[in-house]
Amino acid sequence: MKASDKNNPFKTPDSYFDTFSDTLSKRLGEENLKVPKEDGFILPESYLEDLHSNIQKKLEYKETKVVPLNPYKTYYLVAASIAALVLLVLGLNWNTGQEIPSWDAIANTDIENYFDHNDVGLTSLEIAEVMPIEDLKITNFLSSELSEEDIVDYLNERTDDFEKLNLEENE
Amino acid sequence: MVSEKALIADLQHKDKQSQAFEVLVNTYKKNLYWHIRRIVLHHNDTDDVLQNTFIKVYRNIDGFKGESKLFSWMYRIATNESLSFLKQKSRKLGLNDMEYQERLVKNLQADVYFEGDEIQLQLQKAIATLPEKQKLVFNMKYFEELKYDEISEILGTSVGGLKASYHLAVKKIEAHLKED
Repeated sequence: MKASDKNNPFKTPDSYFDTFSDTLSKRLGEENLKVPKEDGFILPESYLEDLHSNIQKKLEYKETKVVPLNPYKTYYLVAASIAALVLLVLGLNWNTGQEIPSWDAIANTDIENYFDHNDVGLTSLEIAEVMPIEDLKITNFLSSELSEEDIVDYLNERTDDFEKLNLEENE
Repeated sequence: MVSEKALIADLQHKDKQSQAFEVLVNTYKKNLYWHIRRIVLHHNDTDDVLQNTFIKVYRNIDGFKGESKLFSWMYRIATNESLSFLKQKSRKLGLNDMEYQERLVKNLQADVYFEGDEIQLQLQKAIATLPEKQKLVFNMKYFEELKYDEISEILGTSVGGLKASYHLAVKKIEAHLKED
């Protein structure tokens, strides 16, 4: 094939065919999507150089932790657990003959002391709300017995206006 | 360079173990670092996972029977450690895998060990949208330039399946980058 034709009126720019391949490659490159080959991650200086010693330290630390001080420790633990179970069973059996503690066995003074010295977290009003009052008698709070006569005498002497007591007629 | 067989023998020999372990770390640290880094993205997390990987290799080397290459075995451990690490982290934060991936990529902009430009950041965002297997295959093939045979041995997937995964991953990444 002839490079040029005398009768061909068309011309090309200088070195057009010399640069055509490069131009075409460039065009194709632009059309193809460029996914970057570098991902942008970097790492601290001397990180890889120090890695082995860092792992070694970690290994030594972990190994020190897992070395058993006493190889028979597991057996001791098992033996101790069995002994504890046996004692517990024996203890429960021995205790079956004993009385179960009841309110009657606790001295009233101990109960009073408990309420005096421990914060039960209840106000007197709250206690009054839960206390059964039907069965309460005046003698529950007084150490000496009071006869009805003494009470009437007391009221006669100390109360200015007996009416103010607002008592019902039959009481 | 010590052959893989000799290295394994030394690692399983009590007297030579320490020295052989140093050789092992120095031989594989770079490749494993970048493999893990492309999964967990941040340097400090990579450091944790990489150290755990080598410790696991050290502790289990006696059980290594040579059924696969040492390199594949280590890559498999590194991959599993990385994926477990991500799952643990996302569970702690109460996020699903995709939400956690998005957060990781978002945090890259503030990471002093990430110097990527806008396109590289977009690329990471695109990779984060891929399913786990496609993500692994894309990173291993595109960045780490591993052969399909090698990836197949590491991930336990057929070469055909890997090729399909890679093809899909590339298409999705291209579509993602074109959108942006």
